[in-house]
Amino acid sequence: MTSVPGTPIIQTFGLSKRYRKTTAVDDISFRVEPGQVFGFLGPNGAGKTTTIGLLLGIITPTGGRFELFGGGSASDLHAARRRIGATLETPNFYPYLSGRDNLRIVANVKRRDAAEIERVLDLVGLGRRAKHKFKAYSLGMKQRLALAATMLGDPELIILDEPANGLDPEGMREIREIIRGLGERGKTIFLSSHLLSEVERTCTHVAIIQHGRIIRQDSVEDVTSHGVAGLRSADLEALAAAVAEYPGARWSKRRGDRVVAELEDEDLAVMNAWLAERGILVSHLALEARSLEDVFMEATGATEGDAAPGRSSDTGPGGHQMGEVP
Amino acid sequence: MWAAFRSEMRKMWKRPATWVTLGLFGLMTVADLIGEYRRARKDPDDPFFLPDAWGQILGQEVMVGFIFASVLVILLVAAEFSWRTARQNVIDGLSKTQWYSAKVLLIPLLVALFLALRVAVGGSLALAGTDLSAGAGLFGTAQLSALGGMFVTGLGFASLALFVAVAIRASGPAMAVWFAWFAFGERLVVGGLGTLFEGLRPVLKWAPIMTFDRLRDYIQYDPEAFRRASEWAVEHERPVPELEALGPAFAGSFVWIAALLLFGWLWYRKRDL
Repeated sequence: MTSVPGTPIIQTFGLSKRYRKTTAVDDISFRVEPGQVFGFLGPNGAGKTTTIGLLLGIITPTGGRFELFGGGSASDLHAARRRIGATLETPNFYPYLSGRDNLRIVANVKRRDAAEIERVLDLVGLGRRAKHKFKAYSLGMKQRLALAATMLGDPELIILDEPANGLDPEGMREIREIIRGLGERGKTIFLSSHLLSEVERTCTHVAIIQHGRIIRQDSVEDVTSHGVAGLRSADLEALAAAVAEYPGARWSKRRGDRVVAELEDEDLAVMNAWLAERGILVSHLALEARSLEDVFMEATGATEGDAAPGRSSDTGPGGHQMGEVP
Repeated sequence: MWAAFRSEMRKMWKRPATWVTLGLFGLMTVADLIGEYRRARKDPDDPFFLPDAWGQILGQEVMVGFIFASVLVILLVAAEFSWRTARQNVIDGLSKTQWYSAKVLLIPLLVALFLALRVAVGGSLALAGTDLSAGAGLFGTAQLSALGGMFVTGLGFASLALFVAVAIRASGPAMAVWFAWFAFGERLVVGGLGTLFEGLRPVLKWAPIMTFDRLRDYIQYDPEAFRRASEWAVEHERPVPELEALGPAFAGSFVWIAALLLFGWLWYRKRDL
């Protein structure tokens, strides 16, 4: 199976997975183009791993369909797996085998030669520990071995499920560098994570999933390009209440000692005048860059009508989402 | 599929459980047959030499080897679900058919390995007491047939182990279920059903374990051993053994082996990994 230029690497059409009483993945559709580093973002239990399981054919969908490299049949899926390097949840290896022997098993399945094993071991910095048993590895080493296994066979698509799970900041940085390097080499990467900063630093595109549904998807640049207005005033309560009523604000929330709001036109002068007419004098009013975390909180909050975990919220008089950050 | 089987060989070779089970069975075999050998040296009426010693070498204790082989099948297969390597193997590019087929290929290999160990240890000890100058045949058609029957018995028990392993997907519970089925479960069910429905008895005697068991009685294959066993039974006023038609037992065993492997495959294929 060869992919036609312009064909998405991954495309899903209303993909669903329902267990008896639970809907793990609910009618999701998205596409991943060649060369994208696609972040699949969502809280724990949102349906990320189930979605990846569906894409890899180890979980049977209860609705919808998907295509890998433009093919959607069972034989296409089997052929596609040879062009994919993937890990799901925790690194899955034989504990009694060494790192190198584990990669031999993977190489044997992928029909790759032994020389490639040494290459990927060196790439993830495990060359000197390759003879040690997998069960003796630290979590960081296990994650790196999983990454090495995904790189065997030089796959076109790399699917990583929470690759930074349990890593210390240094380990996370190393994994991030490896993923970036793969992206720079033109690999298509599908990266599932609940770590917002990781996705923001690593990915070109992002989809946010919550309760099995995709609630936002775009390029990272686009989703973070709209600025938010940051405001301060001596009377923060009055400011928050007024901003909540401002017609040009899509949403607003309290964040520490200030109020932030996304504006439809980003026209701060009009907003300032509107607040002044209501007797609110602001000591600070400026456009601030929006992080992926902001986008995630808005998206999940907007869908739920309540705040994301760890945050409280209420709906302001203007009808848009009003949240407070402790 | 052969690539998958090569991986199985590597995994089996490096798995400590392989050497522990083989080692334990080897020790038990050595202890058992050395006992036979020493007893024979003290009692000239009960010699331990080839070909007569095949009756002891391929006796009831062969079953212990099949228990170890079945335990090893469960350990090699069920652990793949606990470690999630069954899932990872498929993600890496094996089809479910290839994965399962490689496990099926393990069964004859393991059964042959345990049977060969018993034959090698027992044959070597018995050879030490054999007068080679007498010119008697050391290994003939009877022994070959008996080995074939026992091999099929081993395949049956190990196929049951594979079925239980893919159905339960956890080593401990799978071993418990397999052992319960093997040791008393089937007999309890068959006995219960036979009491309730007398008409079912002719069918119930073809339950899997009972069918496999019919093939592992050495005297059914060796006329000389059968004659000796009959004489001994008459002498000691015990029930005289009867010759059974082994053809239906072979056919029944093959049907059960095929059914267990097929059910295992369908069960494995149907469930998400």
